[in-house]
Amino acid sequence: MTSYILRRLVLGAVVLWLVSVVTFFLIHLAPGGPSSAVSFERTAEEREALLKQFGLDEPVVVRYGKWLLSAVQGDLGVSYNQGLPVALLLKQRLPNTLTLGLAALVTATVLGILLGTVAAVNRNGWLDHVVSTITTLGMSIPGFWLGIVAIILFAVELRWLPASGIVSSGKAGDLVDRLKHLAMPAGVLAFTLMPNVVRVTRSALLEVSRADFVRTARGKGLAPGTVLFKHAFKNALVPVLAVLGLVTTALFSGSVVIESVFGWPGLGRLAIEAANGRDYPVILGATLLAGLVVVVVNLLVDLLYAAVDPRIRHE
Amino acid sequence: MSDATASALLHEAEDDARKAQRGRFWRRVRRQPLGVIALIVLVLLAAAVWLGPLVYRTAPNRTDARNILKAPSAAHLLGTDELGRDVLARVLAGGRVSLSVGLLAMVVGLAIGMLAGGLAGYFRGRVEVVVMRLVDVFMAIPNFFLILVVVTAFGNHPVTVIVTVGIGFWAQMARVVHAEFVKVRGFEFVEAARALGATHPRTMLRHVMPQVAPQAIVLASLGVGWAILTEAGLSYLGLGIQPPLASWGNMLQNAQSYLWLKPELAIYPGLFIAVTVLAFNVLGNALRDVFDPRG
Repeated sequence: MTSYILRRLVLGAVVLWLVSVVTFFLIHLAPGGPSSAVSFERTAEEREALLKQFGLDEPVVVRYGKWLLSAVQGDLGVSYNQGLPVALLLKQRLPNTLTLGLAALVTATVLGILLGTVAAVNRNGWLDHVVSTITTLGMSIPGFWLGIVAIILFAVELRWLPASGIVSSGKAGDLVDRLKHLAMPAGVLAFTLMPNVVRVTRSALLEVSRADFVRTARGKGLAPGTVLFKHAFKNALVPVLAVLGLVTTALFSGSVVIESVFGWPGLGRLAIEAANGRDYPVILGATLLAGLVVVVVNLLVDLLYAAVDPRIRHE
Repeated sequence: MSDATASALLHEAEDDARKAQRGRFWRRVRRQPLGVIALIVLVLLAAAVWLGPLVYRTAPNRTDARNILKAPSAAHLLGTDELGRDVLARVLAGGRVSLSVGLLAMVVGLAIGMLAGGLAGYFRGRVEVVVMRLVDVFMAIPNFFLILVVVTAFGNHPVTVIVTVGIGFWAQMARVVHAEFVKVRGFEFVEAARALGATHPRTMLRHVMPQVAPQAIVLASLGVGWAILTEAGLSYLGLGIQPPLASWGNMLQNAQSYLWLKPELAIYPGLFIAVTVLAFNVLGNALRDVFDPRG
């Protein structure tokens, strides 16, 4: 197991390093890259001074080396537009995204497993069709539009929930108020993430129900409920666990847009603001942090996976 | 029996087999009424956005300061927006842009994915290690962050948007195509083709590709839906297709400022996105069942 963990750790580090290479060089070699951001300055001296100030007067490989060296020490440079350290900005925003993401992930997983089980148990019945309709809709409706429709319904018409923000002004410690702000963005995000979980749960349960040990359990005369929950379910959850890694990646993509719809001050919103303001160090930092979370979650999923299914470790 | 009759018999048998195969195909198509409906919806949508302007002649970008945020009327069938522009004309014009971007981005993503995944799955070895590691990297960057990086660096010209959205999902495509190539490559007829002296490109194109094609078609259909959703999200954030050129996504960006005054503005474009993407997804799932009835 130790060698397996080590191997996964090294692989995760390599992937993360490659993520940094891809994003850094995409940004720095583009015709509209950071060096061009200062091309509006009037005199050649001003341009030169600015390039020097941001360290853009050196070759790109040297810049990458320096950036990487300070990045591994937690220094991701300074925001062009806000003048603050990128690491500080990320530290302020990450908890908000994690709150939103975790709420959405838990909702999507619980509801997804529930609906997937309902669909598998009623295979080809009308409930199965209802669930498959819900998942197809979840895959097709743009999350941000669903968010806008939810705002029209719950904020504009019914006035039940606030349209945007993370907490009302002057109510910083009010948990109910915070939950009210969280309900719509987390619900919408969960709806778009759920289809994957439902599909994997359904097909895994159907797969397992064909296995010999399930037939044996049924043959012994166990009640269908006992077979489902005590025998089939445990094994069906293994592939569901595997899909959670993919869902986390999708979660970060989804949160970029959803945070904008609901004015949620998270990592995604920060990335959008940086993209609109061409704030390259911030975009780079946000992308890397998102990549880091995704790599870590996938690592945890892999380890859990190996813990519950010993066959994986020995491959 | 002479050789001529033998070859004639062989031809007849081949013909019969082909006919039977075609018959089976259409029988399976008939078992997918939803897929057929989705295809009809898509044809109607395409006809509406490309041929509609011939009938509905109002210009999508003409502003009218005296007629802003108007309710539907005979002159403006879906009313007007915050600059007095005709909403129906803009929905049609936006549809042209969204559908074109979606289709072209799918072509870009699928082309890169097929090439990379195909080469990796066919040649294995070092090529495979490099390509699949790169796929891992691209799968680890949340799509939207990657797209943000590219659009910020390279600007948001429509062609850039198309390429960027395509690049956003080449890795998923490559992964599926790679698995298919690895599978098909192991079949005996591929070995036979090689033994008869077929070159690598010929083996890939004539012998492996036809086996992979059904999967690719399914991926393409699902990919268009995904690309349209992504373009819409990007344009909604102001980083995709730029106004005054209408796209379903950027129409929603403007509409959100008028939610309290005129919520309908936010309904129409989103409804069109949802119906279009739904149709591509349903079509993709139906195609999968047609090609692989056991799945």
